[in-house]
Amino acid sequence: MQISEMIASSIRMCLPVLLAALGATYSEKSGVVNIGLEGMMITGAFWGATCAYYAGPYLGLLGAILAGMLLATVHAVTSVTFKVNQIVSGVALNTLAYGAARFAATTIFKMATTTPGVPRLPTVDIPILSLVGWLEPIVKTLSPVIILAFLLVPATKFVLERTVFGLRLRAAGENPLAADTVGVNISAMRYAGVIISGGFAGLAGGYLAVEHTGMYVEGMTQGAGFIGLAAMIFGNWQPVGAMLASLLFGLSEGVALNVESEIVPYQFIKMIPYVLTIAVLASAIRRATPPAASGVPYERGGE
Amino acid sequence: MRHHRTLRLLALATPLIAVLFAGLIGSVVIAIAGKNPLAVYKTMVSFSLGRFDSIALILFRSTPLLISAVAVSIGFRANLFNIGVEGQYFLGSFFAAWVGFSLRGLPAIVHLPLAIAAAMLGGMVWALVPALLRVRRGVHEVITTIMMNSVAFSMVHWLIYVFLDVQQTTVPGMGSPRMRTPMLLETVRMPTLHSLLNPLLSPLGLEIPRHVYLNYFFPVAIALAFAVNYLIRRTPLGLEVRAVGHNPEAAETQGIDPNSVRLKAFMLSAAVAGLAGLSDLLSYYGYLDIDFPKGYGFTGIAVALLGKNSPAGMILSAFLMSFLRRGAEGAQVLEGIPMDTAVILEGVMILAIVVASSVFGRYALAWQKKEARAHADQ
Amino acid sequence: MDATPVISLRSIVKTFPGVVANRDINLDITHEIHAIVGENGAGKSTLMKILSGLTRPDSGEIWLRGKRVVLTGPGHALALGIGMVHQHFMLVGRFTVAENVILGVEPSRRGVLDIATARSRVLALCRQYGMELDPDARIQDLPVGLQQRVEILKVLYRGAEVLILDEPTAVLAPREVADLFSNLRALKESGKTIVFISHKLDEVLDIAGRISVLRRGQMIGTVKAEDATREEIARMMVGRPVLFSLDKPRVTPGAALLDIKELSVEGRLGNLACDRVSLSVRSGEIYGIAGVEGNGQTELVEAVTGIRKSKSGSTSIMGTHAEGLTPAAIRQLGLAHIPEDRHKRGLVLEMSVLENFLLGKQRRSNYVLQHAINTREARSQASRAVKDFDVRVASLDVAGGSLSGGNQQKLILSRELETGPKVIIAAQPMRGLDVAASEFVRSVLLKARQDGCAILLVSADLEELMALSDRIGVMFRGRLVAEIDRDEATVERVGQYMVGTTAEVAR
Repeated sequence: MQISEMIASSIRMCLPVLLAALGATYSEKSGVVNIGLEGMMITGAFWGATCAYYAGPYLGLLGAILAGMLLATVHAVTSVTFKVNQIVSGVALNTLAYGAARFAATTIFKMATTTPGVPRLPTVDIPILSLVGWLEPIVKTLSPVIILAFLLVPATKFVLERTVFGLRLRAAGENPLAADTVGVNISAMRYAGVIISGGFAGLAGGYLAVEHTGMYVEGMTQGAGFIGLAAMIFGNWQPVGAMLASLLFGLSEGVALNVESEIVPYQFIKMIPYVLTIAVLASAIRRATPPAASGVPYERGGE
Repeated sequence: MRHHRTLRLLALATPLIAVLFAGLIGSVVIAIAGKNPLAVYKTMVSFSLGRFDSIALILFRSTPLLISAVAVSIGFRANLFNIGVEGQYFLGSFFAAWVGFSLRGLPAIVHLPLAIAAAMLGGMVWALVPALLRVRRGVHEVITTIMMNSVAFSMVHWLIYVFLDVQQTTVPGMGSPRMRTPMLLETVRMPTLHSLLNPLLSPLGLEIPRHVYLNYFFPVAIALAFAVNYLIRRTPLGLEVRAVGHNPEAAETQGIDPNSVRLKAFMLSAAVAGLAGLSDLLSYYGYLDIDFPKGYGFTGIAVALLGKNSPAGMILSAFLMSFLRRGAEGAQVLEGIPMDTAVILEGVMILAIVVASSVFGRYALAWQKKEARAHADQ
Repeated sequence: MDATPVISLRSIVKTFPGVVANRDINLDITHEIHAIVGENGAGKSTLMKILSGLTRPDSGEIWLRGKRVVLTGPGHALALGIGMVHQHFMLVGRFTVAENVILGVEPSRRGVLDIATARSRVLALCRQYGMELDPDARIQDLPVGLQQRVEILKVLYRGAEVLILDEPTAVLAPREVADLFSNLRALKESGKTIVFISHKLDEVLDIAGRISVLRRGQMIGTVKAEDATREEIARMMVGRPVLFSLDKPRVTPGAALLDIKELSVEGRLGNLACDRVSLSVRSGEIYGIAGVEGNGQTELVEAVTGIRKSKSGSTSIMGTHAEGLTPAAIRQLGLAHIPEDRHKRGLVLEMSVLENFLLGKQRRSNYVLQHAINTREARSQASRAVKDFDVRVASLDVAGGSLSGGNQQKLILSRELETGPKVIIAAQPMRGLDVAASEFVRSVLLKARQDGCAILLVSADLEELMALSDRIGVMFRGRLVAEIDRDEATVERVGQYMVGTTAEVAR
């Protein structure tokens, strides 16, 4: 039973990373690097908790998504319209989100680093699967967001590969000049990619605050925004690959949380996810096939 | 010729525009908190500049920011994003602290420089993995350095635990030992500027108060900014760094090895980064604990961007950031505005400055091209 | 035959800051293949951008089949039936042929792509115009000639009646050019009007019905291809009689200064880009490497100059083994490199002219004083070099990126040749330069040849190569398939080696 509990907590832990990785895919495929996912997640976590506090969990999650999208819009404006270095913009937004969350928390709740407890969404059981004994702890009391997140994996694959929007989005990230010449609106595609990624990150934050912990706590994202980027790279910018990579990270965090060791100091166990991220990035680079124009601002008529 | 001067003026104006824009956003934020922005700004300014102890404090606080900014700017020149300054100065501070509490019997003239060297080593050690991964495997350093930051806190936490001296860190009356290193020896402490400056200031009726630990790291930081600038602009290594930063393929074709240059730049950046915590450690605290100031790394990025990698710019920007923080403290105490307004303003300022720079940069290049075309037709 | 011209341009004027690109242009194009020729900078590209809707003229009118139109953008032009086939292909490498063709006008059902319809439509078009293409092939896997076909298919798919082709043969081998021309003739027969921009007079005389010449932004005149000669058109292009064969002074070649033996080099994708190439270049000789781009020339140059590691084989520069050495060390041996892409590898555009001049030499003892760059010495050397090589700059401190293409290339030459190299590797040195700059570069290379340098010249432009080289080697699929003395070389013969029609000659 310990294993299945570990799997259950792994799935819960991997959620923020998975959502961040999926969201990042939209942004990167359109050609914009989004380092600010962490900040969007923080924003989503805080505003998710706040909205849930005042208006219940459904509106809480909706608020989280919208908050993430709003911050992402700023990133889109600076990166796409003003063609600013995308990494700098992302770092700035992370700083901004951190300070804004504290400010808002102090202003609204008179506490800088936490919010009061908030209600959760009703949990879901998958009845058929719980018949299988060892799966029971995993599929019982699942948050609907978890199911949503895993459904978003094939959905993202479908959108990117089989829809008009997906084709144009990818064209904007592979060869924006070519796409522009045939009438694809590069700015619109990139805005869409970035804002969608912000929505995903916001949802991830909302999940953490509303569903997972039941309140907002400063620092609860713990770098999941960055780890999500690493998962996307490791998954070779494909939704299914990102999902597998996220599960791997979730597992590492699940292990870290549930393992107590006399020999290894707990500080080292805390480091596991971050060290794993670095290891993953080091190994993934060989076969990496990022979108060709990722990270490069597009300017029409460049001579 | 007149055009060049116009360009110069505009170049100076962009940071100013950024600051003004941030001020605007700040006003909105303050208004949301239910206060009058102008009154709050007035309080901030008078609190920060109206009192001499505030000014001294601003200078003291700008020291780590300036050092951090110089570190970040070295990376920027080579087109590297050393976001890991945060973790690098933590490790650097620990290495320096270790030298400070472990090595006994050394005269100050040896002990202090040794600690400084240890701090630089600590920073470099912490940047080694991201640097090598970048140079050998092409892994972008942003994520790896951010990860190293997270690991740094845990690592230093553990290191303090290892070196914890129960005797030295237990405060009488309070049972459990505090989670911090033993006290650093006197010989490694950096003297403050009081003995030098107060005699000069007393005729003016001014005095640096006891509780402000403005120390010799302040002039060191300023000197460092100018020294690094000289390195980048006037030495062959600096030329190589800039060439690799702008166009690594062209540098490679001309016989410059981009990876070797990047490694040097990264290590140099990390070595300077390691120093960022020393003003606090060796002058103020005298020990290292888990609550050692955080955030110099990220603020350093803002200072470097706002100051456009130039020494004068970064010095002024460091002052500006400290001024903001100090003012925010005053605003919190006197007007009830949360201090985090300052952090928000920092973030907004970074965005504003890079947007303004980007717009300006494109404009300036277009102008230069036009000039060149006109000239070539003669 | 309908007397109304398909396209009429009336009094078109277009100015950019500092230059008048098009000066009062009048042109009538009927149902034909019409060629527009002129040198670099004559205004052909600008005119075509106006015609295809990418730019708006400052004044003047465009008439399409007797009706005045104002083009608001390339989409609008395409809607009216004018389609541009760009010189640099606008294709997404990772997408398939079908995906590229339909991008922007995708057949779909409620947002979902209807790939089946797309494929069948592409196949139908191919059949209609006699072109062969596999709709599911990825662009990056296709050879250049087929990629160009996809570009043409794109505009046909959108219903273009007028096709504008901008320097279409620049990247094609002679056989691919022949394929393209037969496609164009078929298109014209089926009712399309073709406008063809080029500076290659032989080709233009082959394919076009009428030829219009632009010079310095003005329309000089229009002639019938069957009545015109190369010399006549060239004279109209340049404004003075042009020599088509350069009188090279006879130079007796000396010892071999550059020796390449059985050099094999791996390319970016792990393939074998160069396969056991052997050649040697003697002092006082220009050895030209002919071949369509992408047959290993770039990798050969990178290996010889030390930028890329070779897999096997050896390179000797003046007797010293050079394979495995760093670019810096190879330069120390006396080699200079004029890279094929001056923006990518030649200059750091953001740095000043002076700093670009110092690039690579920054550690030389005469430039370093007390750890800092000796500005005075550097400036005086740079000024002298800039003067000697006629680099027109306002000052040494302007950014490299603000110079014109010709001046940039001259700056690169001044930097490379200032050190007095004995071996020069010149890759596409005259690409994108106007006549005056090209002549200058040519004269510099010839002088170096006279001074005893060994020059390896890589060029995709056969005319340029034939004019300068003493011996010509042809690269095809990574192998050096032929080595011909200039006196025995003809365009046809070299061209056949370039596409592999003639098999490799055992040497």
